[in-house]
Amino acid sequence: MIDELEVTRPTGGRWQRRDVLCIVAGVVALALVVGAASTVSVPVNSDLGLVAVLPYPFWIGVLILNIAFFVALRGDADGPARRLVMMSLLVVFVLVLFGTPIFVTDIPRGEVAFRHLGVSDALSQVGVDPDIDAYFNWPGFFALLATMLAATGLDPVTVALWAPVVNVGLWLTAVGAATRFLTSDPRRRWLVLWLFCLGNWQDQDYLSPQAFGFFLYLVLIALLVGPLAARPAPFRGFRRADLAEWWRGRAPADDRPGHRVGALVVALLLIVVICASHQLTPFMMLVAITALTLSGRVWPSRLPLIAGIVLVLWLVYPASPYLVGHPPLEDAGLGAAITSNVVDRVSGTPGHVVVVQLRVLLTIVLWSLAAAGAVRDWRRGRLDLRVILLAFSPVLIFPVQMYGGEMLIRVSLFALPFIALQACSILLPTEGSARPSSRATGALVLTCFLLAALTVTGRFGNAQYDVFADSEVAAMDAVEEMAPPDSAIISAAHPTPWREDAYLDHQYRTIEDLCRQDLTPATCAPTVYEYARRNAQGAYLVLMKSAEASLVIQGDTTTPDFAEMERWLRTQEGVQLSFRNAHVRVYEVVPE
Amino acid sequence: MSGVSRLTAALGLAAVVLSVATVIGLPAPLQAVAAITVLVLLPGQALTRLTQVTDVALGAVLVLAIGLGALTFVSTAMFYLALWSWQACVVTMGVITVLACIVRARQEVAW
Repeated sequence: MIDELEVTRPTGGRWQRRDVLCIVAGVVALALVVGAASTVSVPVNSDLGLVAVLPYPFWIGVLILNIAFFVALRGDADGPARRLVMMSLLVVFVLVLFGTPIFVTDIPRGEVAFRHLGVSDALSQVGVDPDIDAYFNWPGFFALLATMLAATGLDPVTVALWAPVVNVGLWLTAVGAATRFLTSDPRRRWLVLWLFCLGNWQDQDYLSPQAFGFFLYLVLIALLVGPLAARPAPFRGFRRADLAEWWRGRAPADDRPGHRVGALVVALLLIVVICASHQLTPFMMLVAITALTLSGRVWPSRLPLIAGIVLVLWLVYPASPYLVGHPPLEDAGLGAAITSNVVDRVSGTPGHVVVVQLRVLLTIVLWSLAAAGAVRDWRRGRLDLRVILLAFSPVLIFPVQMYGGEMLIRVSLFALPFIALQACSILLPTEGSARPSSRATGALVLTCFLLAALTVTGRFGNAQYDVFADSEVAAMDAVEEMAPPDSAIISAAHPTPWREDAYLDHQYRTIEDLCRQDLTPATCAPTVYEYARRNAQGAYLVLMKSAEASLVIQGDTTTPDFAEMERWLRTQEGVQLSFRNAHVRVYEVVPE
Repeated sequence: MSGVSRLTAALGLAAVVLSVATVIGLPAPLQAVAAITVLVLLPGQALTRLTQVTDVALGAVLVLAIGLGALTFVSTAMFYLALWSWQACVVTMGVITVLACIVRARQEVAW
């Protein structure tokens, strides 16, 4: 029987003063962070995002938390501090890194969480209609959300607000379960979770199918490296006979057939649910399963075939209406992928460019640490091929689809747990479970504090346009109330808190989509006006501070140009101001 | 040979009681707790016990993953079959939990 590589440290015993101090430090750090974040006023007025407006006690809290964690991680000769101490510090870290906006405002960040609530609401009203949009071709997550919201009676906006903390908590439990099969060093197991949080700038943990899919993906990986793992035979070469002998020589790592069958059934359930819930995750899953299987590390050798069949069946039947107009490889190519994912994103105001560059820097730092860790493990003959395959297999998907310029973000997220695990090899002492020295612990504190600063900058770097003011949400509610069915609601850009309970009632458009590449007032304003006037049910033009900031920060327009466009629009026939508050102006456009 | 464990019986009984209570309706905070328990945690726990997982961490994460995965499967299937209502999902997940407990009970009796 395999299995989990057991932690040798006893969990009982008396509490040490160090354990108590670490927990107290965690509480103090949380209090400092909550107090500091609650002083931030919305809307945020900096193109650097939250990092520019968070007061210094926030950073003192982050520093204290890192000190407490590494003191606890260093522990004593037996290993790190007790599990309860490590877990409580990790919980605080999740609240600090992923919950900070919750202490700033009670409105969920970003437009997409609102939109996903709307999809779930629409699904519960009209059922699955694949012709509506892509979401209705992969409705799994939205079906789950509709059921949960209806049965629990929870406020959907509150659920969206807390989703990042809950999702990261789920991810960490899955990463923790997987790493139990990949390393026997308890310090490494805790450090990988800390690094996973520190490298998680991608901001994909909001209420979304991809966050749910990523959790299931991580659980699937835990099954593949755990109960479904295989022990490979010695590798003798690439000759056909040698390969055949190597393949036949594999043995199940778990010698309990019933256990393996149970794990296989769970894996099949997860594969089906992943395929029904998200467009991209099934491909990441298929590549990872295939890579692990071909390396001889997975016992059920037909699992890639089964996963591939489920994926293809979903694409050709439930998702076929979407795929008819969107061939999967339509925009494939390395050049296009680099342009879309890198070049187009490093543009905008100086502050925004700095934020984007720091995100890239954070990723490069972690990947460099992982590379150094891999070299170190290789020299010591301890390189785990599974970790390398899981870290690099997502990269294979990069040139296949541009995915709206987000593919690199997704690739770095799927690789992150295993990059973090490999990075631990260079950050911890070479000898198995050896205790880090005081100097090494100090260096780790400093390194992780700097990484935390990069993460906060990267994650919340768009706060000027993805943290909404109460007045913006109130204005949007008023517009959706007053707009007749099928009328158009036009916002400046996508960061708009709309559609959460009227997803199908109106035609939602943005100025950036209507005008595509050219947002100059002379060209764009008439285009928007024409569209609004031609709509038989009329239109509402919503100009809110956050959406305008989005266009300006990303370099699509300038503040004077945007003001000029508004000036032109409001002087046109049939356009009148119908709502106004501190951060929003709404113009009603009557039809021709 | 031994009898059915208390945990198996408790899971099955809790699934029945909480399914009924959730469908009838409870005051605000209790409704959320009962619904999450009957929709995710109980079926997750009952099905995870069938896999005979011994690792505590993997077992804990499987309770959540199987519970959420099974509820997603059931909800999605009901939407495609135009049978969806949250009450139907609650009853179905309750039935799944009870069935998993019956299978587990048979295993326990056989052991």
